[in-house]
Amino acid sequence: MASEVQNSNPTILNVADLPTRLGSATLSKADTDRAENLASIFPPSAYSSDWPTALHSSSDSSDGEEEREEPIDEQEIYDLISSISDPEHPISLGALAVVSLPDIAIKPTLPDVPDSSLRTVSVLITPTITHCSLATVIGLGVRVRLEQSLPPRFRVDVRIKEGSHSTADEVNKQLADKERVAAALENGTLMGVIAKMLETCR
Amino acid sequence: MPNPPTPPPYTLTPLATLDPPSQERTWQTAPHPRLPIVATCCADKTIRIYSLTNFRLLSTITGGHKRSVRTAAWKPHVTGESVLASGSFDATAGIWRRWDNYTSSHIPSQSPGNEDGDAAWGTSTSNPDPSEDIPAANDDEDDEEWRFAVLLDGHDSEVKSVAWSASGLLLATCSRDKSIWIWEDLDDGDNNFETVAVMQEHEGDVKCVAWHPAEECLVSGSYDDTIRVWREDLDDWGQVACLRGHAGTVWGVEFEGLAVGVSSPSGEGGEEVRALSGPRIISCSDDRSVRVWRRQPKLGMTTELGAGNMPSIIRPTGLDELWEEEAVLPLVHDLAVYSVAWSRRTGLVASVGADGRVVVYEERRVDDAQVKEDPEVSLSLLPPTEWVVVAVLNGAHGIYEINHVAWAKRADRGRDPSKEEEVLITTADDGSVKVWTVQQ
Repeated sequence: MASEVQNSNPTILNVADLPTRLGSATLSKADTDRAENLASIFPPSAYSSDWPTALHSSSDSSDGEEEREEPIDEQEIYDLISSISDPEHPISLGALAVVSLPDIAIKPTLPDVPDSSLRTVSVLITPTITHCSLATVIGLGVRVRLEQSLPPRFRVDVRIKEGSHSTADEVNKQLADKERVAAALENGTLMGVIAKMLETCR
Repeated sequence: MPNPPTPPPYTLTPLATLDPPSQERTWQTAPHPRLPIVATCCADKTIRIYSLTNFRLLSTITGGHKRSVRTAAWKPHVTGESVLASGSFDATAGIWRRWDNYTSSHIPSQSPGNEDGDAAWGTSTSNPDPSEDIPAANDDEDDEEWRFAVLLDGHDSEVKSVAWSASGLLLATCSRDKSIWIWEDLDDGDNNFETVAVMQEHEGDVKCVAWHPAEECLVSGSYDDTIRVWREDLDDWGQVACLRGHAGTVWGVEFEGLAVGVSSPSGEGGEEVRALSGPRIISCSDDRSVRVWRRQPKLGMTTELGAGNMPSIIRPTGLDELWEEEAVLPLVHDLAVYSVAWSRRTGLVASVGADGRVVVYEERRVDDAQVKEDPEVSLSLLPPTEWVVVAVLNGAHGIYEINHVAWAKRADRGRDPSKEEEVLITTADDGSVKVWTVQQ
């Protein structure tokens, strides 16, 4: 990997400014800490009766997603990937605004097949600098995180946001190539880097 | 597509799921050229051999590859023995041999939990690092007699596809390292292979290779979106054509069979042109399309092509071929098309991809009345044809992507012995391999 830091002074967002589900009724079960904070604010009666169970089971299985049909929305996707660390900085992709909530979309994969349960999660990533060679690694980290966390009916589409990178087409093609991604998952060195990025995802 | 016929005249019916399925992704299933067996390439580093007679697992080849097995191909024209070439993400190709003694009544005695390799492999050169894959002791009846023959080492990164030439003399392998290697099987009893050529013209991963059904002519598809045709000229292998048209990675290529399709039933004009053109090429791509390519007949090329029609590239030898896109098949896939198979018996084409669909197409002759209405069609020297979608199956493997499709001779008890029936075999991300009948 690059020995020299490519962007030594990135813009970092205040954690308080990052999008969360606070105030929303369908609380992300992936974020135990936040739920515990909430629990101290609200009396237990404010929750539906099965909530504590759900919370408990989610903290048991680290990857969270059960086969049971749970509505998965953009905020949940954001929560899954915003805590990934940048490969260069000990800062999360959310705080660096590499991923942001408006750049996440969930759509039916096959709109012409109404009964298809396939959903495509599209994530546009914005590298901190336009020539960042680590864009591929960041994209791969996002893809790996989502593929490991989401049920198999989700297709993951990770791209570089238009205009934010000098070789976006190249990176996009690589990230969309199933075979290359599969081979990358068997590459020990690369997976070491990815694992380090995902360490901060609970 | 003018007036797509309704309803589709073919029905895809599930016949069987190969059992037990792999627990990990399966990439490809290669039907044996002679025997009713297939080889399925698995992400768990193994190759699974299944019967097409009872759809059960016969054996599992393990220990040879250190990463996912991506591709496999059976050597043709071998008698008394089966020879399988495999290609893996570990950058090597392997050659495996086994004496033919699977019988039709063969029932695998092993349980799914006892699929580990022949203990002998642990000591073979196939497994330089035995700690990576320790073969279990085989105390039960041992029906695994797959012998590791040789490891073909040369590629720098993942091997994506392997293919034997029609004669079985040459093996082509291709890789993410952008190269295609051609190896000659010396057949000297010592499992020696000689590197005949290394072609590096592709500008991206070479995803697939396939041989001409009779000649020593190779076609390849790549991450650089091109298809290239390769031949040998005076001991030197080189590119004779570069086919552009796809707007994405070319995931699959295949040659047409020698005498199939709509050309044979009719005695009308155009047969000569077809014969001169030779078998066509079919390709499928990340751009969601399936395309058919035809070679310009060699004879008359100089007279037919005016100066304006000549491509502006330098043509150093008379070996260069001019290939044209003949047809884009009806666009049915919503996502990348990973594999296409052109039946050498019926001429039917099947395609599969990331959208989980199986699509079957049939080439039909356009009748004369229609030709007269469309002057563009009648200008062609060939009898005009059109491709019609004759079957579509959504979610053939549930929610999973389908990585490969192949035609194979039907071999189960339910077949009609008076006919040479074919089945379709699809291979998916969840490790399942399904067998389908395609009937009118």
